[in-house]
Amino acid sequence: MPGGATTAAADPIILEAIGKRYETASGAVQAVDSVSLTVRAEEFVTLLGPSGCGKSTVLGMIAGLVRPDAGRVLVAGTPCAGPNPEQVALVFQDGGLFPWRTALDNVTFGLELRGVPAAKRREIALGLLEPMGLRGFERKYPRELSGGMRQRVAIARALALDTPILLMDEPFGALDEQTRLLMGEWLVGIRRRARKAVVFVTHSLQEAIALSDRIVVMTARPGRIKDVLDVTLPFPRDLNAPEVTELRAKLWEQVREESLKAMGTIS
Amino acid sequence: MTVLAWRLGILVGFFAVWEAVAAPLNPLFYIRPSSLPGALLGMWRVPDLPPLGEHVWLTLQEIAGAYVLAVAAGLWLGFLLGLRRTVGRIYEPLLAALYAVPSVVWYPSLMLFFGLGSASKIAFGVLLGFFPIVLSVLAGIRQVPATLVTVAQSMGARPFTVFRKVMLPAMASTMVGGLRAGLALSVVGVLVGEILGSRAGIGYVINYAYGLMMTREYAVLALLAAAAVLALDTAGALVEARVKRWAG
Amino acid sequence: MGRLAVLACQAASLAALVLAWHVAVRTGLADPLFVPAPDAVATVLATTAREALPRLGDTLLKALCGYALAVGLGVAGGLLLGSRRLVHAVAMPYVVAAYGVPKILVLPWIALILGLGTSTAVLTATLFAVFPILLMVAAGVRDVDPTLVTAAVSMGATRGQVSRKVLLPAVLPSVLAGMRVGIVFAMLGVLLAEMFAGTRGMGFLMQRMAMAFKASELFAATLIVSILSIVVVLSLEHLNQRLSRWR
Repeated sequence: MPGGATTAAADPIILEAIGKRYETASGAVQAVDSVSLTVRAEEFVTLLGPSGCGKSTVLGMIAGLVRPDAGRVLVAGTPCAGPNPEQVALVFQDGGLFPWRTALDNVTFGLELRGVPAAKRREIALGLLEPMGLRGFERKYPRELSGGMRQRVAIARALALDTPILLMDEPFGALDEQTRLLMGEWLVGIRRRARKAVVFVTHSLQEAIALSDRIVVMTARPGRIKDVLDVTLPFPRDLNAPEVTELRAKLWEQVREESLKAMGTIS
Repeated sequence: MTVLAWRLGILVGFFAVWEAVAAPLNPLFYIRPSSLPGALLGMWRVPDLPPLGEHVWLTLQEIAGAYVLAVAAGLWLGFLLGLRRTVGRIYEPLLAALYAVPSVVWYPSLMLFFGLGSASKIAFGVLLGFFPIVLSVLAGIRQVPATLVTVAQSMGARPFTVFRKVMLPAMASTMVGGLRAGLALSVVGVLVGEILGSRAGIGYVINYAYGLMMTREYAVLALLAAAAVLALDTAGALVEARVKRWAG
Repeated sequence: MGRLAVLACQAASLAALVLAWHVAVRTGLADPLFVPAPDAVATVLATTAREALPRLGDTLLKALCGYALAVGLGVAGGLLLGSRRLVHAVAMPYVVAAYGVPKILVLPWIALILGLGTSTAVLTATLFAVFPILLMVAAGVRDVDPTLVTAAVSMGATRGQVSRKVLLPAVLPSVLAGMRVGIVFAMLGVLLAEMFAGTRGMGFLMQRMAMAFKASELFAATLIVSILSIVVVLSLEHLNQRLSRWR
């Protein structure tokens, strides 16, 4: 770029007072209300909150799969008008792996859509699967893999498109406790090499603290931002350190209040 | 609203096309829908047609007989194969093999054995009707959540009580579907039996009209029979919906 | 119980059945005019088979033609019905109604227009087989996990790509299940058409044997057709297993 002044590269994600209503059989429901947030490049932001607080809806709006009723979503500086596979990749809670495709073919799916030639696709996919410890499992079908493995394949599939933004919707939610903890540790290792802006949705305070640069606490429905906490601790984080304990207590106080509200209002 | 409009449109369009295509052609072969209401009114006065009332009554009796026997046989076999695991393991594959045979191959043998009277129709109706019932009982037993049975047993319920108060209600939705299908098939069995070879019944009259080239009368009878079957199945669907609502 | 033990029991049961049958006829419990003795059936098996074979081939050919048509129409229709909500809402009552009406009621009219030959049989086979295929494929499309479609769309798949790369493979098990059911219905249609309005084919032969009280031949013929059907269905089942390794 000519000239010395650096144009501020647009922040990958800017949410301007977005909102979403759903029409249900029992009347209109405001899922998300007036959420504003900016996610900077290579920043790991967690959306934390009780069930039904609209976290997944917010993610859907960033991904271009859900149209906001209010406000706008800017991805890489431009308003979001639909799915944006160049900019945004998603990981779903139960993986969303195609059961009729092998692990390898699942990872190469997005590349296939782009028309990347077969040899190149294979190379990229194997390059992603190997550091995930899935070498030797490329030809297995999802049915033959454990839950943790399936999620890793799902993440590899998302990484294959090399997008600047990664959205993860409770990716470890369906796993048992031990696997969850291990996956969290593994993800910490991955994130530094991945160099992406990540928006991570979870219930788990543990995960939020272990992984994030910033934690956004959301209220019960209608989902608004209750608080934003910066986490400046170095990685990998010792979850028994006093700062962590203090942070967890502060988070819990916030989240507990909203969780109780959510439990009372869940219809 | 648009859905209803489209549906109506399809129905009207269908009859319009049928009428348009059949109009210039031989009315004997290509039955025109517009000629049918006239045939319906005139039917009772046609001397060649046997009196409908008795035939309808006979067919209804045959259907009732076939269905009752189909239900009895189907439930008995279904529970036998489903509850007694070893018996099930041995005989279920044989039943599945039987299911792979097009049912109509049995009919000539049934006609030979039972003759052209009602018995062969009832037998064929039973043969067709009992299959969905057996299958639905087996499926029903399989889908009873094991935890429900365990809960009941842990509360001290004896086997028969578990069966009556846990398994049956849990199976109700699946079974009622099979009972409904069984009724539909029993009806088909009786009708097919009558059309392929009989001396009485609705199928016989249809065949009779057809044989005398009274094509409009045949069409009216066929449409009425179709409407009756649909009405019966709709009634079955309502019962099924009721049971499903209750069974949860 | 081990697999071998199960097979042994099945064979034993069938043997016991044949024995009971034999005893029933020999002791006069069953009239040999209507119920032929097992050995009588065995004797005519070869001759009946020789007579039946060309007719069987004829029947099978007609069934396969009707089946192919039914599969084409049923799969295409099912995909359409299952994927487009408006089409589904509008057409479903008619499809279900058509499925519920005993199709034999239409057979006389088909025979009237198309005559007593092959086309009637093929059309009847198509008519019988198309509905279960249609309904099963439509259900299969509606049962596709929506997350899979969302994942594909988020990765930039166009509508055509979603259909080809997600819906089609996801729907394949339902298509195969429908096809398995369809073949029996197609054979049923042909046999029925032959019994009602045929001059060739297996159905016509069996009907003729029944009218002539040729009990042994009829039993033999029934046995032959049954075994053929079972073999056809088992082969399709086997094929199905091979194609569904990923389930």
